[in-house]
Order: sequence, then structure tokens, then C-alpha cells
Amino acid sequence: MMNSPEQHLSPKQHLLEVDGLQVDFKTDDGLVQAVRGVSFYLDRGETLGIVGESGSGKSVTNLALMGLVPRPPGIVKSGRALLDGQDLLQMSDNALTAVRGAKIAMIFQDPMTALNPFLTVEEQLTEMTILHLNHTPAEARDHAVSMLEQVGIPGAARRMRDYPHHFSGGMRQRVMIAMALSCEPDVLIADEPTTALDVTIQAQILDLMAELQSEHQTAIILITHDLGVVASVCDRVMVMYAGKIVEEADAPSLFANPRHPYTMGLLESVPRLDRPHGVSLSAIEGQPPDLAHLPPGCSFAPRCPYALEKCTVEAPPLTDRIDQGRFACFVNVDDSEPKPFAAKRT
Amino acid sequence: MNNSAHHEKTSSAESLLSVKNLRVHFPVRRGGWLRGERCLIRAVDGVSFDVAEGETLGLVGESGCGKSTTARAILNLNRATAGEVWLDVARIDQLSPSAMLPHRRKIQMIFQDPFASLNPRMTVGRIVSEPMDIFNLHSRRDRKLEAMRLLDLVGLNPRFLNRYPHEFSGGQRQRIGVARALAVQPKIIICDEPVSALDVSIQAQVINLMMDLQQKLGLSYVFIAHDLAVVRHIADRVGVMYLGKIVELATSDELYRSPQHPYKQALLSAAPVPDPVVERQRKRIQLTGEVPSPDRVYPGCSFADRCPIADAACREKSPQLEGEAHAVSCFKPQLLAPTVANNT
Repeated sequence: MMNSPEQHLSPKQHLLEVDGLQVDFKTDDGLVQAVRGVSFYLDRGETLGIVGESGSGKSVTNLALMGLVPRPPGIVKSGRALLDGQDLLQMSDNALTAVRGAKIAMIFQDPMTALNPFLTVEEQLTEMTILHLNHTPAEARDHAVSMLEQVGIPGAARRMRDYPHHFSGGMRQRVMIAMALSCEPDVLIADEPTTALDVTIQAQILDLMAELQSEHQTAIILITHDLGVVASVCDRVMVMYAGKIVEEADAPSLFANPRHPYTMGLLESVPRLDRPHGVSLSAIEGQPPDLAHLPPGCSFAPRCPYALEKCTVEAPPLTDRIDQGRFACFVNVDDSEPKPFAAKRT
Repeated sequence: MNNSAHHEKTSSAESLLSVKNLRVHFPVRRGGWLRGERCLIRAVDGVSFDVAEGETLGLVGESGCGKSTTARAILNLNRATAGEVWLDVARIDQLSPSAMLPHRRKIQMIFQDPFASLNPRMTVGRIVSEPMDIFNLHSRRDRKLEAMRLLDLVGLNPRFLNRYPHEFSGGQRQRIGVARALAVQPKIIICDEPVSALDVSIQAQVINLMMDLQQKLGLSYVFIAHDLAVVRHIADRVGVMYLGKIVELATSDELYRSPQHPYKQALLSAAPVPDPVVERQRKRIQLTGEVPSPDRVYPGCSFADRCPIADAACREKSPQLEGEAHAVSCFKPQLLAPTVANNT
């Protein structure tokens, strides 16, 4: 995986540039602002992690890139997402179909619901390349077998006629990866790809993704809530809270020197294998905000031990970290006393 | 090994819960080309452990290893095929539902899915006071007060008594589940993946709550989870399960710093740590293949096919769980590589 420090300085075009993305959902509870102005970039060959809890907007951001936000109730209100200069958000359905799968592909958390249970693996794998690469059925079949071999499915040729339910969870996820990568997309979005899997299988799948990435120089967006997974595979990390990016930095800096109190809280609240048994976790008290009724100011302020009066009135803008990253907080956590995410009663 | 000068293993008279050689087998009919042929799924195949008063015993393992079936069999929700379960000097594994009922005051359960385990048509007040109705605890009027006290105890506003489960978030629902389990003042709670459905920040809240309650009320827990770090954090002793058997059992610190069974070490090395510096230096013990089907009977060690150090002997004879303070079921117990827990 590569990591070029001059990314921010050079005017070179990024593979994917998302700018000011906003996604709303109309619900009975009122207008839910799921994504509230998200901007980021992605370069060839790198892995960008997006971390956040349920409702933070990490999945919706990426569904918007794929043109998969359900409409209604969802609406992509504003923003641009340039992939190689083409705006994904402005594309017609036909144009999107040509791009999806070919240039940008997605792996979902639950392979059982993402694969069609009525079609054999062969039918699902060949459909892609016949559509995008104009393969003949025979070519498509050969290609599909070689993809299944690449992702490590034993007896690939024989298993082509199997249905998804014939495969175990880990094997199904491999089939999904084979499918997603069969047209060698530039961007692979992986939404919690290993959350449903056991740790030993998770390690196999993450290794497989890294291997295929270095072969094809694929750019990966990895959406996860697991900070361990982020630490082990991501070059850069974005932390999202209540529909906004609150911090972004390269992985080592983010873990060593978190600048946003939410990032700090997240890192403190995970039990760790390399910490002794029995110490109390410093949990972030309270609940994530209701996206239909967001508080004014910083949406993390009600749970934040560092919050100032200003934080409850005004939303902090994303500012640059000293290193390449960005963060959105008025407080300079390095200058203030460390404050515990105290055990306040809810 | 490791069984040197340690005191006698707690006898079942001293321990609160004692599980002896528990087996749960499910007869099933095969599908596919063997359709109709009967076979036996050995979900739990000879599990033994003791839990002392005030202690937390963790059970870890991957899906299908039998940890949840063990939990359900302890509570008599699945009938044990063989073996014994003792709770406070009474044997409870063969009891009929009505004979089991009085014992349920001592042993309760918290489930994984906080959305499925609460009745959506009952108010929180009724959910929490229903166990008191069943056991006829407190006077009718006091039950409401008791329910309010319990909600307060688990960190919820007592005024929420008349709300319905859908009005609460996942973490709050799990707190309601804890309050319901506590309503009958049990001695031990079996927790099956109680925090795995929760977000990271909420998970820490619930773990802290459970540890606080244990201190306050002197509870014992059997804590079942697939997350190794969570189990290390909360459990005093941990058992590692593979294919229906406990393959290693030791105190939490001992097991994580000096794991002896190759499977436990592979598990530990596969679990990522939230620190890029550590992660980039780690060497993993890569396991090939997947957990085999529990309907096969193995002459040798059931882990042998995936084990990095297995030899011919391992495929012939099945190792037994041996050792007192640190029990391992392996012919060649050894530390293959330092674990991340050694960095502390």
C-alpha cells in the first residue's frame, strides 16, 4: 500500500474526489440529515478507512457514490463526486450502470443477502463481465473460474454451479470479492466486509484484499466500526459522527495523536488485547444524537467532556492538523487538561 | 504442565455452578446426495467447568463452536444429551420445566439481540416486573417501586417505566434486559454475546455497568463472546472452545499472555489491535481452511487438520483437557510466538 506525503500539496488529480456531499431522508420523524457536507479524496492503490457508529452516515456516503440511495425517501441534496473527472452524482441511470461494477464496485457486510440465492455463482459472476467487458459466455466462464481461484476457493471450476447457500460465510464473502473485482474496478467500496465473520476468517479475507489490491492498484474504501481492522489495513482514516467528518489523518497519526474528543473517546472505549484485564473502560456516555433533531453547534458537544459554551452554539469547521489531516473541534486537546469520559449517569 | 503447586481445584460443593462432561447432540437428516441419512451434530461434546461465587467465566470461540448451545443447555433451554449441571448443590440438567422453575430464580440469562429479546407489546415496567410476578416477589404495589429501583440501578431513568422497547436505543434495551435478569435477585447470569450487537462507545457503557453490578451484588457471570478483547477485559477465567470442546482453560491474564493451545494462539494472532504501529509489526499464525463440520467423528484431535504443529500422533489419538490452573487439551502445548498481551 502506498502513502505519498505530497498528496495534499500537489495539484494532481485524485482518482475520486467527493465534495460537499449531502444526503437527506424524509421520514415520519421529519427530515433526517444522514450526510451533512462530506468532502474527501481517494488515490489509486490506497486504503481509506471510514470509522463511525451506526447512524454516522458512513454507509450512506458510499451508497450515494454508487447511486444506491433509495429514492424516495432518500435524496442526494447537493455535492459532487468526481471519479476520473466524471460526476457520479449527476449521471443518468444508464451511465451509472456502465460505471458500476466496471470502475467502482462494492462489497457488502452480509454476502447472503447481497448474492442472489436463485442464481448459481457462475450466472452471477459471468453476468458482470458479459455486460462490462463484452466477454463471450465462454470467456466469461474462464474469467470467472480464474477469479474464484484468485480468491482462494478450492475446486473453483466445480463450484461454479453451486448456489450461494452451498458456501460457508467466509467462502461467500470470497465469492462477493471475486464478483466485485472481476472487472478490475478502480475503486472498491467494502462496507463492513468482515463484520459477520470469525476472526481467523477475517484475517484471511483482509490479507486477500490487500494482496489483490497490490496486484491491481485498486483504491479501497473500507467502512468499519472495528478500530483494530482499521489499524491493520488502512493508510488513511476518516472518523464520522452524525453525518459529518470530525477527523481525518493517516492511520499512524490518528491513533497516536487523536485531535477530536470523539476519536479519543472511541480509542479509549475499546477493550484491548494488549491491555491488562479488569481496568475500567472509559465509555463515552450518552447516546448518538437523533439525526432528525440535531442539536445546534457541534453534534458531539452533549457527550463531550471538553465542550465549551461556544460548542453548543456554533459548529466547528474542519481545520487542518499539523500533519496532513483535518479535524473539526474548537478545543485544543493538547493544551487542555486530559478529561476523562466520566461515568455520568444517563 | 502448569499444574504444579496450585491448590485443589474447587470442588463442586464450593462452586456455584458446575458443569460436568456436558454433551448436547442434535440428530439431523442430511441434505444433498446423502439426503435422508441420519447423522449426529455434536454441538457440545464433553464440556466441564466450575464457576465460583462472584466470578466471571468467559467462553470464547468462533461461530459453531458450541458456546451458545452450552449456555442454553445450562439453563435447560436445550436438553443435555449427557453430563451434569449442578447449581448450588442441586442437579438441574434433567428437570422438567416446572421442576426447573424454582431454580430459575438463581440463574438468569441476557441475550445477544436487544431487539428480539424484549416483548415489543409490553411496557418496560411490565417487562422488568414480570419475573417478580412469576416468583411472587414483593407485594403487588412494591413491584412497581422495585422495577423503578432496578431501572435506576442499570442507569436508566425510572420514569421510563411506561415506555415501550421501540422507544429505546440498542444500548438502553440491553440495560432493560439486565434489569429484567436482576429482578429475581439471581446469583448467576449467563450472558450470551451481550454486547456484540452494540456500537463501540455503547458497548463500553454496558461492560462497565455489568462489572459495577457484579461488584455491588456479588454476581457470577458466564460471559460468552467471540470478541477476545472483550472477554479478556471482563472475565477472571476464560475457556476457549473449538468444535464443542474446551481446548484451553486458564485465568484471563495467564491465557492471554501465555496461551498454550495452537488454536488459541491462532485466534489471538488473528484479532487485530487498534494500534497501527503494533499491527504492522505483528506476525500472524495463519490458519488454513475452516472449522470442519461437527457431524464428523475424529479419531484424533479435531484441530489437527488446521494446526501448524500437528503430527501423525495428533491424528490418531484425541488429547484430553489436562492441568489444573491452566488446562490445555493438546499433546504439544507450547508458546509458538509472543502474544500482543505480552507488551503490557
